[in-house]
Amino acid sequence: MAGFGTVGQGFAEVLALRKDFIKERYGEDARLVCVMDSSTYAADPDGLDPLELVARKKSTGKVGDVRYQDSVEVMKSVEFDLLVEVSPTDVKTGGAGLKSITFALESKKDVITVNKGPLALKFGELVSLARKNRCKFRFEGSVGGAMPIINLCHENLVGEKIASIRGIFNGTCNYILSKMDNGQTFEQALKEAQQMGYAETDPTNDIEGYDSACKAVILANSVFGRDVTFSDVEITGISSITSEAIALAAANNMVIRLIGEVSPTKLEVSPRLIPKGHPLSIAGTLNAAQIVSDLAGPISISGRGAGRKETASAILSDLIAIMDDRKRT
Amino acid sequence: MLVNAELYVKDLPGQLVDSLTPISMVDGNITAVVHDREQIVNQRICVNVTFEVADNKGLDRLKAIWKSKDVMIARMGSVYETHTMEYMLIGKFSAANVEKLLEEASNVVSLESSDVSYSSKNATSTRTAMITAEVLTPEDLEKLDRFFRSACRESGIVYIRGL
Ligand SMILES: NC(=O)c1ccc[n+]([C@@H]2O[C@H](COP(=O)([O-])OP(=O)(O)OC[C@H]3O[C@@H](n4cnc5c(N)ncnc54)[C@H](OP(=O)(O)O)[C@@H]3O)[C@@H](O)[C@H]2O)c1
Repeated sequence: MAGFGTVGQGFAEVLALRKDFIKERYGEDARLVCVMDSSTYAADPDGLDPLELVARKKSTGKVGDVRYQDSVEVMKSVEFDLLVEVSPTDVKTGGAGLKSITFALESKKDVITVNKGPLALKFGELVSLARKNRCKFRFEGSVGGAMPIINLCHENLVGEKIASIRGIFNGTCNYILSKMDNGQTFEQALKEAQQMGYAETDPTNDIEGYDSACKAVILANSVFGRDVTFSDVEITGISSITSEAIALAAANNMVIRLIGEVSPTKLEVSPRLIPKGHPLSIAGTLNAAQIVSDLAGPISISGRGAGRKETASAILSDLIAIMDDRKRT
Repeated sequence: MLVNAELYVKDLPGQLVDSLTPISMVDGNITAVVHDREQIVNQRICVNVTFEVADNKGLDRLKAIWKSKDVMIARMGSVYETHTMEYMLIGKFSAANVEKLLEEASNVVSLESSDVSYSSKNATSTRTAMITAEVLTPEDLEKLDRFFRSACRESGIVYIRGL
């Protein structure tokens, strides 16, 4: 596992929680053989104890005793068959995540990631590499956290022609806009979101719509088979939404929400006017999406878009899908 | 085509059904019927019916059948399906600017109707307007979206549209 922050530790805890389930379903444990944070790693071919790793990270700030410079060199030194990549998102270069995922796929290892950077920048290349090397490459948690949108489209809706997906893909923006519905100004709502830990000290990525744009790219490529990248998204953020605008929308029985819209021809993130009571008018930090397909019509889903256990739950669902696949073949 | 007709039928049992069955005889499809017993003219009762027929030929056949059954056609007209979209503008502009924008928009698409409201509070120098526009086709809606998007971008106005 590359990355041992909020999501990495959450997944370690979930692995411990679901130890018996995995043993029963597959007749063996899922062994965590190597874990890296930004500067150290811990490795054991017989398997590390996930809860001990979490405790060590909490008490010492480091996951292992051994320092390293290059994550690829670490991966070369251990035997593994699946990489869980949960290092920080870098939408400019893809960061360490892109390097690690590329190496793992080139080495014919399966990969699960929730890191939007590599997916928003190099989706086509990574999927081709996975296909060429017959690896499984899954990324459910990269869009909507615990809300199962990618696998829903790929698996349950596989026979449908999906016409469009519109959704709320950033909980921070939704929190700010719902606070503005209750009379706060943009600045007050943003400050509160920062105090609650929903927004970063530098909130640009969220409020300017960049985070939602990454998710729109992932959906466009993975669900609609398009070949687009971050720079193809038409993006408008929420920083120019005024209290007057919110009030005027309310007077017309509407709310304003930051919506990502993806279809075979559209790729856009922008604030939109949503009728109150519509599935995309939800308040708070939830994510939501409406998928419109030819046979099923509109399907609405919502769920927690971020969080330690929530994102780990999406990684677990990908892990189970991969292990089921391996069992079948 | 969707058609609305105001018919007057004799106030006798079975006349209402008699006036509606011809619609299915021309393979039409009734979408709404209002039978207004309050509106009586020359001992005839008003029936307002909205229905779909394939084409004008079907409609002509229907008119002939109604005539043969002594059903009076008081009014008949096409009903158009319209598409409505809301646009909110935030920025520095006057009501005259919005009027001009709508005038330009009506050169791009045929606007069935448009309505503008403004935010009551105007604490800052920025203004907020909400436009509700009605057009005839989804293609016109796309055109209108494109028009507002580029016009607002040129004038530095933030534009938010409906779903
Ligand atoms: N948090 C969520 O709810 C959520 C939801 C969906 C997706 N995601 C995505 O999940 C990923 C992880 O998020 P997070 O919230 O867990 O972030 P985080 O708490 O900041 O943790 C990031 C972890 O990655 C480690 N790291 C930094 N550089 C690395 C490198 N070069 N190689 C390996 N590890 C490195 C960090 O090491 P140190 O501990 O030494 O700093 C830390 O352990 C991000 O890509 C994020 O966008 C997060």
